[in-house]
Amino acid sequence: MALILVGLNHRTAPIDVRERLSIADAQLPVMLTELKAIGGIDGASLLSTCNRVEAIVSASNEDVIDSIVKWLSERSGAHRTSLEKHLYVLRYEDVIKHLFRVASGLDSMVVGEPQIGGQVRAAFLIAQRCGSLDSLLERLFEGTMRVAKRVRTDTGIGEHAVSVPYAAVELARKIFGDLRGLQALLLGAGEIGELTAEHLNGFGLRQIFVANRSHESAQQLASRFNGQAIYFEGIDPYLATCDIVIASTAAPHYLIEPPQIERALAARRMRTLFLIDLSVPRNINPDVAKIDGAYLYNIDDLQQVADSNRELRREKAEKAETIVAREVENFRHRLVAQDAVPTILELQQRLESIRTAELEKTLRKLGPITAEQRESIEMLTTQMVNKILHYPILRLKDSEPHERESLRETIRKIFGLR
Amino acid sequence: MSPNATLYLALAFYAAGTIVALATLFARGRHAQHAGLALMIGGWVSHTIWIGTICARTGHPPLTNLPEAASFVAWTVFLAELVLFIRYRVHAASFFVYPLVLMLLTISAVVREPFAQMDPSLRSGLFTTHVLLSTVGVAALLVGLAFSTLAFVQDRALKSKHRGALWEWIPSLNVCRTLSYRTLAVGFSIYTLGILAGILWSYRTTSELIDLRVKQIGGVVAWILFAILLQSYISGVYRGPRTAVISACAFVATVIAILGIHRV
Repeated sequence: MALILVGLNHRTAPIDVRERLSIADAQLPVMLTELKAIGGIDGASLLSTCNRVEAIVSASNEDVIDSIVKWLSERSGAHRTSLEKHLYVLRYEDVIKHLFRVASGLDSMVVGEPQIGGQVRAAFLIAQRCGSLDSLLERLFEGTMRVAKRVRTDTGIGEHAVSVPYAAVELARKIFGDLRGLQALLLGAGEIGELTAEHLNGFGLRQIFVANRSHESAQQLASRFNGQAIYFEGIDPYLATCDIVIASTAAPHYLIEPPQIERALAARRMRTLFLIDLSVPRNINPDVAKIDGAYLYNIDDLQQVADSNRELRREKAEKAETIVAREVENFRHRLVAQDAVPTILELQQRLESIRTAELEKTLRKLGPITAEQRESIEMLTTQMVNKILHYPILRLKDSEPHERESLRETIRKIFGLR
Repeated sequence: MSPNATLYLALAFYAAGTIVALATLFARGRHAQHAGLALMIGGWVSHTIWIGTICARTGHPPLTNLPEAASFVAWTVFLAELVLFIRYRVHAASFFVYPLVLMLLTISAVVREPFAQMDPSLRSGLFTTHVLLSTVGVAALLVGLAFSTLAFVQDRALKSKHRGALWEWIPSLNVCRTLSYRTLAVGFSIYTLGILAGILWSYRTTSELIDLRVKQIGGVVAWILFAILLQSYISGVYRGPRTAVISACAFVATVIAILGIHRV
């Protein structure tokens, strides 16, 4: 049985090629049916994200590669030769390793990004629902998701944000833990401020207040978050009730000074205040950072967090690669052992039937014998069969993937198995 | 088998558990965390057997001298940590609590005092109440201090914008402060009741409210410092190095109070 992957990704193909091959979720069942209909394919799955399109199949032999490439080029409407230069073809162990790395985020554009794990899982579930998976692919996907989970848990590779808005979210969670029920105040309608507010809102903020020089713009923006527009001049009471303040205006001076924050914190008692200043020039006086209970991060601080997280992810990726390598080896061994089971059982049954038939013949010729004598002969023949089977079974279990198929065939021929 | 065999076994488990837990600072891994916790639980079970043995031999709780008291405080501290771990899954507190448990039990093992028979005059419900409440209160306060330390470390990291070695392990500042406040509040209430029971018992037996031995002074100083700490939480001024200094002093006073226990 051959395990094959044919695909392209962000490293091998530009976006215009990827988008031509990309498959929407709704189209996947039809595509899976088409792929599986290719002669020689036993199981098929498709992984399509914005960065990759990959067909993963199990087949009786490697001849199907040509048909898969042809199918892909027909789908994309591209010339086969022009598509081929973007494609990669992986076989058996390389497929296992590739899929483990992909699901763990090690092959992503942003190393460690968490979405890909969910996308691989979704691809598995769709293929499973369509009935396009065989037992080999089922086991491969189950193993892949287990490995991806282990990599994320043991290394924490996806825990650190690598963009400014997400770095702000990460810090907010480090301060408040659960963001649900918190309130935020957004000053200005700067793009990055809006994006940060949007990400924070995704974690269940109770309310977002938006203040802008133009009240109309504030109202428009607030409606996007189901928030409330407030007047710029009246922000002080909101500093006391909001937990997160995001400043992103074009004002050339400070809009928030230390005395305002001191007053707000006094009213807030134990509750801390997280201030995010994304403006250049800055809108929050840096002296605010000296006040106990106020945590002020400007755009450079957040960029630094994102950069150091990127470095951290690279370090964790090295550890993750070690885990993946070990898991590939484990998975391969389990697969080999499981693959060999039917042949081993058949072999045992075959020799056992020979043993019992020959034994009966011999016993008939021998005439009456005692129970002890019969037991001795039974034991002798059983031991002989076990000794004969010992090395073939051992070799089958320990064989390398590339030699296993031929070994199995040889054993089947020699012992006359079906 | 020597009655102290289970004590040494507990000590060995605690030492191994502490080393494994501290090692997870450098090599992240859920398995290592679980292994550390399992070793500590193994130690705690062995520790429980040792305490049970002493109770059976002497007929009273093991609180009559320093080794016994230190051991009982260690036992209670780990129990409190375990309960909080099960409830909140905060692994980071173990970096402080496990070494503390190990230190207290090491005192038990190193300071050799014979199993004491309690003076019959001390066999009163009020005395037992005083000892049990004080011990449980101190245990909760020490765990509260561990969370307070975590909150301080997190606060400094967020303020300085530099992550320390514990950054990944420490939960959010909010969680640390909430847990610290709750354990300190509960521990302080129980500890206060313990002190009151002790004063009452002292007055009944010696007609004096309090004498000025090390454990009493340490205990009262610790109580005052914990009261200030708790007040800073309640009034909302719990921030910055001032709180850290008070916490450190409260810890030292508590340890002095424990070490001051010789014979009741």
